[in-house]
Amino acid sequence: MPSAGHTCEIALEQAEAGMTLGAALLDAHGSVLLPQDAALTESMLASLRRRGIERCVVWQAADAPDPAALERLREQRLQRLEQVFRHCAHAEGSQALLTQLRRYRAQQT
Amino acid sequence: MNADAISKAVRDLPSLPAVVSELLASMGQEDLDTHALAAKITLDQALTAKTLRLANSSFYGLPTKVTSIQQAVAVLGFHSIRTLVTACAVTGSFAATPAGGLDFQQFWRHAVASAACARVLAPYCRINPDTAFTAGLLHDLGTLVLATRFPLEYQQVMAYQRQHDCLCASAEQAVFGVDHAAVGSALAAHWKFPPAIQAAVAQHHQEPAPAALGMQLPLATLIHLANVLAHALDLAEREDEQAPPLSLAAWQALDLSAVACGKVFQDSEQLFHDMCQVLPP
Repeated sequence: MPSAGHTCEIALEQAEAGMTLGAALLDAHGSVLLPQDAALTESMLASLRRRGIERCVVWQAADAPDPAALERLREQRLQRLEQVFRHCAHAEGSQALLTQLRRYRAQQT
Repeated sequence: MNADAISKAVRDLPSLPAVVSELLASMGQEDLDTHALAAKITLDQALTAKTLRLANSSFYGLPTKVTSIQQAVAVLGFHSIRTLVTACAVTGSFAATPAGGLDFQQFWRHAVASAACARVLAPYCRINPDTAFTAGLLHDLGTLVLATRFPLEYQQVMAYQRQHDCLCASAEQAVFGVDHAAVGSALAAHWKFPPAIQAAVAQHHQEPAPAALGMQLPLATLIHLANVLAHALDLAEREDEQAPPLSLAAWQALDLSAVACGKVFQDSEQLFHDMCQVLPP
């Protein structure tokens, strides 16, 4: 996944269809076989094996988000919402809207 | 400050280009002569140049550059061009004047946010989405009159608002004796906006008139809802943002399910972010 920002070099046997190249794959003469960010397919892998390529660089899957950090962000969103509605305690329409917005902000990722 | 000085300030504002009044009046008309209107826009060179710049912005991602209004209408549709021309003309009337400490970026973000919310809510009110968008964009025009024509007094408004943590309409009442909705209403009349948009500008802070369930809601009710939602979604990035009170009758008239609410919030945020790229201040 290019957005994760980390690459790692792996043996071609470990490469799987669906992985994305983190760097262009070059042959022995420096010619580009596959560009960076190419999504690997089974046929590409077979072709690379035939050419004797042994290693490649792929993007690592994004790290799983830290649940505690997510919870903090959720809390911040909800606190900010209450702050924006600070003068609406007596407006019934505002309270109805606030109920829906609380649900929306709590479910946001 | 008295009402006469404010209405004189409104009268002294330059007229909107005649074609913009025509474009606003054309909203909701069935038998539009879009070719004739496009030809009229072309007669105003400054407006044409600005509109083409926006139409060629990366947001629309056009494969080739459009170089005429007619071409822009053909590619983007008449409704989009009408919105762009109106936005250009209205902001162009204020751009070069000092603004009494008003944060124009924030002002414009709220205008675009209200426009986006109005457009998303429009189908639930059985109102034309383009009319809704434009009314949302224009609903706080009175603020620009006060801030640009009375900059010293407007600084007092901002100080009063900071001190009392109140809505800007209350601060304007305290300093000017009128608020931006009343001033905007006078300007909307001066600029010959269609009656529904005039009413929406004038009444967006008021308790809306009751409406029968299932019937089209008044545009003013939609703009009341859109203004509150734009504040509530915190889109203008104001540290002291506060949601104005929302009419229960207006909220109930929308008749939104919980699922529909989530969709409205999400769509409004998305449209706002998209439109910010198209309609820079």
